[in-house]
Order: sequence, then C-alpha cells, then structure tokens
Amino acid sequence: MSDFDHIFRKYHNSLYLYANKFVRNESISLDIVQDVFASIWEKGKLELHDEHLKAYLFNAVKNSCFNYLKHERVVQDHQQRHIERIMQLEQKYYKSGEQSLIEKENLDKIYKAINALSVINREVIELSRFEGLRNKEIAKKLKLPVRTVETRLFRALSELKEKLSKNNLRILLNICALIKS
Amino acid sequence: MLVVNDENLIMTTVNSSEIQQMISRYLNGDLSRTEQEKLVNWIKDSPKNQRLFFELKDVWDASHKGSNEKVNEQLLKFYRKQATQKRTKSISSWKSVIAVAAILVFGLVIGSVMQMQFGQDNSQLESFYVPKGSRSEVTLADGTKVNLNSNSYLKFDTHFSKNNRIVHLEGEAYFEVKSDKNHPFTVQTNNFDIVVTGTKFNVSNYHDDQLIGATLAEGKIELFTDDHQQFEIKPGEKISLDRKTNHYELNDADVESETAWIDNEFIFKEIPFPDLIKRLERWYDVRISYSGNELNEMMYSGSFKNQETIWQVLDALKLTSPIDYEKISFRKFELNYKPM
Repeated sequence: MSDFDHIFRKYHNSLYLYANKFVRNESISLDIVQDVFASIWEKGKLELHDEHLKAYLFNAVKNSCFNYLKHERVVQDHQQRHIERIMQLEQKYYKSGEQSLIEKENLDKIYKAINALSVINREVIELSRFEGLRNKEIAKKLKLPVRTVETRLFRALSELKEKLSKNNLRILLNICALIKS
Repeated sequence: MLVVNDENLIMTTVNSSEIQQMISRYLNGDLSRTEQEKLVNWIKDSPKNQRLFFELKDVWDASHKGSNEKVNEQLLKFYRKQATQKRTKSISSWKSVIAVAAILVFGLVIGSVMQMQFGQDNSQLESFYVPKGSRSEVTLADGTKVNLNSNSYLKFDTHFSKNNRIVHLEGEAYFEVKSDKNHPFTVQTNNFDIVVTGTKFNVSNYHDDQLIGATLAEGKIELFTDDHQQFEIKPGEKISLDRKTNHYELNDADVESETAWIDNEFIFKEIPFPDLIKRLERWYDVRISYSGNELNEMMYSGSFKNQETIWQVLDALKLTSPIDYEKISFRKFELNYKPM
C-alpha cells in the first residue's frame, strides 16, 4: 500500500501537467491520471522498477490523451480549426519521439530554474503560471500595455528554456571532462 | 531580417515581435482567427519554427510549482473510488476485505452526514449510494448480504438490527436475507413492499424505468403493493409492474440472467431499446442519446461478460444490429439507425 502511495505522490504532479499539456482541461486531465494509476493498481505494475514504471506512466497518459483527443469532437466551430491544427502538429511532434521537459526533468529543477530567472521574467512567469493570470490581467496589475506583457512572457520562456538546456549541457561537459581525465 | 510589406507574407523570423506576441497570446491570451492562421503557417513554414514553438510551449507547460494539497486530494479520491468498486476476486483476498470495510464506513459516514427525514419522527437514517458505473456489496447488521447495482440507494434506520429489519431501496439490488422466521425482513420501495423471512431475490425499481419488479431465486416472498394488492412469489417467478399501465404481472423468470449483474455479467433478454440504453448508461456511467423511431421499436437480447469498456459494447452492437455510434464528448455518445 505504501509503495503505491509513494509512487502516486512522486509522479502525480508531473503526470497531471503532462496530461494537461495536451488536453488543456483540468478535470479531464485529472480523470486521465486517475485512470492510469488505476491501471497500475489493478494490473500490478508496481513491480516495475523506477525508469520502466516512469516510462509506462507517461506513455499511458500520453496515449490516453491522444485517444481522448481523437474521439472528442472538439471542432464543431470553425473558429477552433487552427487551434486544432496546432494540437495535431503537437501530437505528431511528440509521437516522433520528442520528450517533454515534464517527463525528462524533475519538477523541482524547473521550479529552481524559475527562481533563478531575472526579476522581470520571473515575475511574469509567476503571475501567469502560478497565479493563473491571463496576459490582460497581468497588464492591468503591473500597469503595463498588454503588448509589453506579451513580449516579456516570450522572453521569460526563452530565458527559462536556455537555463534548462544549459543545465543539461553543463552536466554533459562535466561528464566529458571526467571521462577525459 | 524582417519581411514586412504584405500582410499575407509569412513572418519567417522569430525575432519579429509579432510572432513573439502571437505565441504569448496563444499560450496565455486571446488569439484572433487571422492570427491563429498566421501562427499555424509560421509553425509549418520550417522544422526550426516548429521546434522552437513546441519547445517554448513545453517550457510553459512545465512551469508549475505543483500542489501537495491537490495530490493528497487526488490520492484520497483514488482510494475512495477503489473502495466502492465491486471486487471480483474472492473475499479471502485482503484487498476485498478492506474494500468492503471501507464501503461500510463510507456508507455510514454518508448516512450520518445526510440526516434525512423519512416521513416519521426524528429517527435517523443511514443511507448508502452506489454511483453509476459501480456495483457494491454490503452486509447489514443482521447478516443479510445486499449486492447493489449502479445508481442505487439503500436506506435504513440507524436502529436497524436483527429485530428490526426494514430497508428502503431505489434502484436495483440482490438480497440474500439471513433467515429468521420470527423477524421478517422488509424491503420498501416507492411502489411496493417485499416481506421475507429468509430468501434470495432481486429487486429492480429504478425511478426512470418503465418496468420494475422483483425476481425470486430461493425461498418465498410476499409483495404488498401501494394499491393494496398482495402477491405471493415462488422461486423462479418474477413479478413486474408496468408503470405506464399500473398493471402487475406474475411470470416465470430466467433468474440466472436477471441476477448475472452481480458477477459483472451484463445480460439482457428481449428488452426494449430505451431500457437497454438506460442500463448501459448506468453500468458504464455514460450518457447516450439517440434518434430514430426505428430504434425504439426494436427488442434486444445479448450478453456481455466482463466487457471492460463501453467501446467494446457499442462495437459489438454495431456489428450485430442496425446501429451506428459516435462519440460526442467525454462519456457522451450518440446512436443512430443505420440499416444493415
């Protein structure tokens, strides 16, 4: 029992974020994650070791999401046509083997990287992602034009992306250095 | 390197603040339809654009501090869900024992929270509800075992005991009543009461069903109706009430099919289409809408053993009857008539 608890607590946040990335709907994402955990509870996949279990969980969530999106008649409305196209492209992107940061990285590491951003950039990430404010609301709060907020968000995400890939690069360089010596 | 002249020209570089703003708007703002189209075209324009867009979106998706509160809440929800699901393994499995215990605790907690007046004095009422898509087994204080089907309520007085055996049922349940000739067991429903001393029988009275009634497996039951009729049922017999005509009928029953739901087998014999739909909705916790009078006229028979998903059932129906289906949204389906 405590094994299951431990696994649930370890992966829930990431799996939820991962599902929401594709499905963009909180309650459905939570449902999908619940179902995936139910499948390991029932099928007894708890004997799988860390990396295998993790891969199983993320794959199961991804497949459930793609399945849900395939069967869901999202686009009745022509206005959504382009949005759906982007979602399709995204699915193709990840089906071709790309991995999300959510799967690759420890969420703590990402959180630390956010804390290490420049003040302005960190602020816009916190307001948008942690407090859930939309761009217009952030603009109002900071008394800035919306376009400025939009540009800041873009820059913040770029800085964060750079930080996270730098981490990997640094580790890689260290490994190379170790091997060489 | 900016190409600016014509609105229709694709922005090929991400240094364009327009693209940057559109990406931000896609993620956390409002993107107009024209902008959406521009963005899609920009993404499709080169693999480099595609990679950049999806990497940035991924950083956005991953930026979150996570909530322990939510995890705890979800973990609790997970265990509750597991506890209310029917265990198909033998009762000797420790999981089942805990599940049944959890059910009783859960049921009693609900009972004490929902203090319903039952039309009498201030006696407290315990109630136990099995949601759609689930089935549960409960053992009452007198040793009577009750199997409850999806979307069913079982209510009983706090003072239920072996000397005071009255329960109220809405929905469907299979009772294995502990024998006691001196203290009859009563199942009350909105249309009739059943009184027994020790028997095995199935009661079905969903409020949205046209046909309701009881089927007897073993023993003897006496049925008292609201309009003062009385029926004595023998094993292998079934009494049904047609709510439309208000007419009671006593027939021979196929007890095995009527009670197969207890073993997670979904069996139906010559039932009208609307009833089949309602049963599927309860069993799988889905919503099914349909149009076409042809469908209403048809009678259905079939059996699904341990079919795990509504998909399998609908696919089977599609193969064997003039039905086609479409998923409308999460847990919602639409059926239509399609000649074979």
